[in-house]
Amino acid sequence: MLKYFISINFVMLMIFSAGAQNDSIAQDSIKYKQKYGLRLGGDLSKIIRTVIDDDYTGFEINADYRYSKNLYIAGELGTEEKTTSTEFLNSTAKGSYFKAGIDYNMYKNWLDMDNMIYSGFRVGASSFSQTINSYTIFNTNQDFPQTTINESINHSGLTAIWAELIIGIKAKVLNNLYIGLNAQLKGRITETEPDNFENIYIPGFGRTYDSGRFGIGFGYNVSYLIPLYKKGK
Amino acid sequence: MKKISVLILLLLLATASCEKDDICAETTATTPKLILRFYDITSQDETKSVTGLRVTGFDTNNDDVEISNLNVTTTDSINLPLRTDSNSTKFTFHKDYAIDNNGTPEDISDDIVLGNPDIVTINYTREDVFVSRACGFKTIFKDLTMSVEDDGNKWIINSEIINSTIEKNTSAHVKIFH
Repeated sequence: MLKYFISINFVMLMIFSAGAQNDSIAQDSIKYKQKYGLRLGGDLSKIIRTVIDDDYTGFEINADYRYSKNLYIAGELGTEEKTTSTEFLNSTAKGSYFKAGIDYNMYKNWLDMDNMIYSGFRVGASSFSQTINSYTIFNTNQDFPQTTINESINHSGLTAIWAELIIGIKAKVLNNLYIGLNAQLKGRITETEPDNFENIYIPGFGRTYDSGRFGIGFGYNVSYLIPLYKKGK
Repeated sequence: MKKISVLILLLLLATASCEKDDICAETTATTPKLILRFYDITSQDETKSVTGLRVTGFDTNNDDVEISNLNVTTTDSINLPLRTDSNSTKFTFHKDYAIDNNGTPEDISDDIVLGNPDIVTINYTREDVFVSRACGFKTIFKDLTMSVEDDGNKWIINSEIINSTIEKNTSAHVKIFH
């Protein structure tokens, strides 16, 4: 595992040193070929969070296909269930989502390395339900005891569509095995709002904010490359 | 391994941490109160203060509940909280409330409560309206009606519902003539 970490650090280091090395690459006479193929993986952070967070269950598989030297067609497919609780409200969002888009590799690999520092774009869509598990009526006057309603109210058939900007790294840690970290900035385009309620959490999008349509997300991926063909640099 | 765990933990904390959105601000519009104004029965356009008014409510077990700011005041306008767990709230409107302790302030067993209590029942239907993720829901009240129990000595002579929906704490909902 330490090896993976070193790999990531190594990738980072190379960003800073790459500039100084560019001149010497041109004189290298050996031709290195790069693998093209389909990379399949999963989001490890969602699995870890499922284990340590009682209010969360999530699973995501992801794939990218190397279309050209720097361009990858990428997508994610997942399911999430999240219970959000505040002082007055407890609700659960549950559903599945998919995201599709492209990743663009901005990192120039040396020799036979196959790492990425990339920026990407996705369009995501989610189909989900929200259940109000319980709520306490908000009342600043407390002469009478507070009222808590425990009957669950289900809002199903909800959808949301959003766009995502991604920035991340992927590092080859073993032959054909990659790990990656990424951060996502998201903006909702459309959503169906439940009657007399709002979307507190959207599977794939994450939690919503009262201030607007933006959201954030993180991913920690492990993926395996199925090589299809090789091509020179 | 250790460093990666820490990194993941930090990422998780960043997504799960406490937000301003998650705390219900005191200034948020809350469950509204019933506003009553007292008018003169002989000159119905003019307000008339009730002297020594003490209002108490009844809870689920019919026990008295003190209503804040209404323990013996002289006023022509009062705000009452309504029960959010029931479609009616019962109050005692006690006019000229005073206690005659019979000259023995320590001994409450021989105390006599003076004044004229009237039992008032407010009936309504409830609707819970979504406020925000932090505050949840508030209740609004509709189809307001009011009745006064006839104890043979009512000081509340008549009442009139002027706004049968309680959504905001702004204008009066009921006129009471006495």
